[in-house]
Amino acid sequence: MNSPSTQYVTPRRLGIYEPIHQMSTWVENFKSNGNPNTSAPIIVESEDTSHGSQGPFCKYEQEASKPFDKIQRRLAQNREAARKSRLRKKAYVQQLETSRLKLVQLEQELDRARQQGLYVGSGVEGVHMGFSGTVNSAFEMEYGHWLEEQSRQICELRNALQAHIGDVELRILVDAGMSHYFELFRMKTTAAKADVFYVMSGMWKTPAERFFFWIGGFRPSELLKVLVPQLEPLTEQQLIDVCNLRQSCQQAEDALSQGMDKLQQTLAETVAAGQLAEVGYNPRTGTAMDKLEALVSFVSQADHLRQETLQQMSRILTTRQAARGLLALGEYFLRLRALSSLWANRPREPT
Amino acid sequence: MQQAIPYKSWQPFDPLSHSSVSTSSKRAVRGPSINTTDVVSSMVSENAVIVFAKRGCCMSHVVKRLLLGLGANPCVYEVDEGDDEARVLDALEMIVNNNNSNGSHDDRDRQKVQFPAVFIGGKLFGGLDRIMATHITGELIPVLKEAKALWL
Repeated sequence: MNSPSTQYVTPRRLGIYEPIHQMSTWVENFKSNGNPNTSAPIIVESEDTSHGSQGPFCKYEQEASKPFDKIQRRLAQNREAARKSRLRKKAYVQQLETSRLKLVQLEQELDRARQQGLYVGSGVEGVHMGFSGTVNSAFEMEYGHWLEEQSRQICELRNALQAHIGDVELRILVDAGMSHYFELFRMKTTAAKADVFYVMSGMWKTPAERFFFWIGGFRPSELLKVLVPQLEPLTEQQLIDVCNLRQSCQQAEDALSQGMDKLQQTLAETVAAGQLAEVGYNPRTGTAMDKLEALVSFVSQADHLRQETLQQMSRILTTRQAARGLLALGEYFLRLRALSSLWANRPREPT
Repeated sequence: MQQAIPYKSWQPFDPLSHSSVSTSSKRAVRGPSINTTDVVSSMVSENAVIVFAKRGCCMSHVVKRLLLGLGANPCVYEVDEGDDEARVLDALEMIVNNNNSNGSHDDRDRQKVQFPAVFIGGKLFGGLDRIMATHITGELIPVLKEAKALWL
């Protein structure tokens, strides 16, 4: 039972809910009293409680003649307002949480991209899911490291050429540079086996590089066109050899391109002939999935061609020329990447 | 570019076999179900350059286009999946190993044959890898000329 003495409300704690809590406590007590006309003094919480500067004890309401309904209505409104306020706060906090998570993710992406010197396309990263996604991000990280090592080697080559070091030391640098490219081809083969479309998409490269993409990488013939002007003067024999190499390269490229066209055509036929349930089976050409597997060998053959072309070039050239060639190649791709960054940061019309 | 002179117009060894004509100008022949080994050996020995490949394989298409682009006119033997494939592989391997080991069958030296397989001048040359590599180094054309697959 209630004591007839003044009832306390609990000491104010932080937060705007307490008055309401105190209110309900008060209301319970009031109800349990049963008689609105009791003379026992009751505490009525003032509605102006937001500043918290008031003490828990407010008006000393003696008059029991105040209409019960009005009080009840006011209390109900307060309860309602408090409830809405609580809900709003909950929603706001949830929003904050999701934004925070998103921020962390964005920061990670940015970090990764900055590491690799890539321009990260909008929304690309989030699409990859499942095993492929894991392997692809692993590949991207590896590629990031590869790019760092590449930059370091380019600097070393540049310094070495300017310092006019001997052929023996230069040969070591050239061999290292070549091995580095071969390492990339190995990485790509592994990645292609896991997700060939990803490697072929070129999304792991910058936009400007992607513009020149051919079956998962650069065109060997383009490479020669870029290199040769940087390597002059060449001997007669070298000129002939380079010319032959350019021609063979072009022929091999054309053969591979035609093979790719054929693959596209066959795949289209297979898918067109199939039922929705089996996604393409053509008795003459087999299943569509087999065709997709062939893509892996195309990437492999294209990389093989790149490797052979690089090796043949290094056979034709002297050590010093090969060093200059590798430097020129590295700087060419660096410039392409810089172009991509420029383009990414171009001033855009405010929408 | 001048049209390459076909080395030989090949007639089916077994009158019972039927040849399926491919869309390209070369002849694509379907091997008969009997005497696959004999058919295969005669094809290998009679053609300067012949490509054995699975039907519809796009890699074999690459080999074909490359050889055609050089002026060689390769004969193409298209193999079906299943038994035919196994039989032809066996036949090819026998040919290869007979050539290599002069009749003695040493398991260690048995070379595995994979499709697409290119035979030049009666001997196994290799797959697409080897064709590409030798073409880049410039070794392929002399080999083709020596086997009389190229006349220019």
